[in-house]
Amino acid sequence: MSPTPSLREDAARLLREGRVKLVIGYRAHAGGGQGPAVPEGACRAPLAGGGGRRPAFIEEAHRAGELVFDGACSQNLAAYLKKPEVRARMPLAIVASEAVGRSLVSLAAESQFAQGALLALAFRGERYEGVKEVEELAALAREAAPEPRRDPDIGRRLAELAAWPAQRRAEWWSARFSRCTRCYACRAACPGCYCQRCVTERNVPQWVSTAALGHGNYAWNMIRAFHQAGRCTLCGACASACPQGLPLMLLNTFLAAQAAEQFDVEAGLDPAAKPLIGTWDPEDDNSFFT
Amino acid sequence: MSQAGAPRITAFVCNWCTYAGADLAGTSRLQYAPEVRIVKLPCTGRISPLFILKAFEGGADAVLVSGCHPGDCHYTSGNYHARRRWGLLRKLLDLTGIDSRRLQFSWISAAEGQKFADLINDLTAKVREAGPFAGANPARKRLAPAPEEAQGPRRES
Repeated sequence: MSPTPSLREDAARLLREGRVKLVIGYRAHAGGGQGPAVPEGACRAPLAGGGGRRPAFIEEAHRAGELVFDGACSQNLAAYLKKPEVRARMPLAIVASEAVGRSLVSLAAESQFAQGALLALAFRGERYEGVKEVEELAALAREAAPEPRRDPDIGRRLAELAAWPAQRRAEWWSARFSRCTRCYACRAACPGCYCQRCVTERNVPQWVSTAALGHGNYAWNMIRAFHQAGRCTLCGACASACPQGLPLMLLNTFLAAQAAEQFDVEAGLDPAAKPLIGTWDPEDDNSFFT
Repeated sequence: MSQAGAPRITAFVCNWCTYAGADLAGTSRLQYAPEVRIVKLPCTGRISPLFILKAFEGGADAVLVSGCHPGDCHYTSGNYHARRRWGLLRKLLDLTGIDSRRLQFSWISAAEGQKFADLINDLTAKVREAGPFAGANPARKRLAPAPEEAQGPRRES
């Protein structure tokens, strides 16, 4: 049976009972088109297409019938929690695929919303799991992914890069970063990039050049990736949003693997997790110091 | 290496240990390679990844980061915080072409003037051997993109 009826019922009930002021989910796009074709080798369909799905912001119970959920719902809705107009409507409920669920758990760990201010209409794959608190969402995420999931293709690409001399790696990355137009779609799409004033926009002093040239592009892409270290849940929203198709998931996956290997950290599974950067352990790796 | 093979090395050091160690090297009249430019900060915990990127952007051939030994931080835990950041940052920079010859880390106490002098000599020799970084440095400031840079493939994962 399609999960949609129970999703709509739960959403309508939460709104009717006044438990939430807003439900964020997906609706079918009026045009219903598939958007631009998925380019060869891209991680996901670009957001512009959205697979015929659009975000839905529902405040009245009678509109809950608009909600849909299926495999085409790929946009990470957790990114809307950055918006003041959305935050003003808490408590709210959010339709949470596994990827969205992990983002929500990660945001809870960083105290980005008050306890009880957010409910998830949780999915595991395409199976509807019901209304979940953040704690239950985390349990669901741990159950769904007992082992860290990494894209094997990305693992192969990283191994290939690691085998190259440094100069070749630099040239390869420079060629890719040179395409960056600094549109910051990666930042806008990422639920974790929630600073009200991004470091790239600080100009006294200016640390990251905003011109879309090699040095600024390199610094921006390094800082964006580094600020996600130990926090990124590998949802892929940044790479999907990138109009230039930069291989951002290589950077994210690499850092997630490093966080796991060096510090045994897996983001988005524990709402009580301490931040990786910002805590320390006297037993941390000291081998690279002379 | 702008002029005649002289490498440009930027050293970010903390005020309490490594800077005092460098000072000791000086007052002890120890000779060490003159190519290093020292930037003194209150603590290694203050050394942002942005500083390191900025140094490479400005054309450094190598960057050294140095502070108090673990457990000796003047502010108790600044160096522990920093160590965790660098454990990740150095790997990320290595992935994108700034390898461990170009970015080095050390702990040097205020009593280790000799260690400081040796480290700088050693680092300078290694950077000379590795050659100028300008051509391969992905972070370096260039005023216009080189023509061949505009040709990367359009889309990939």
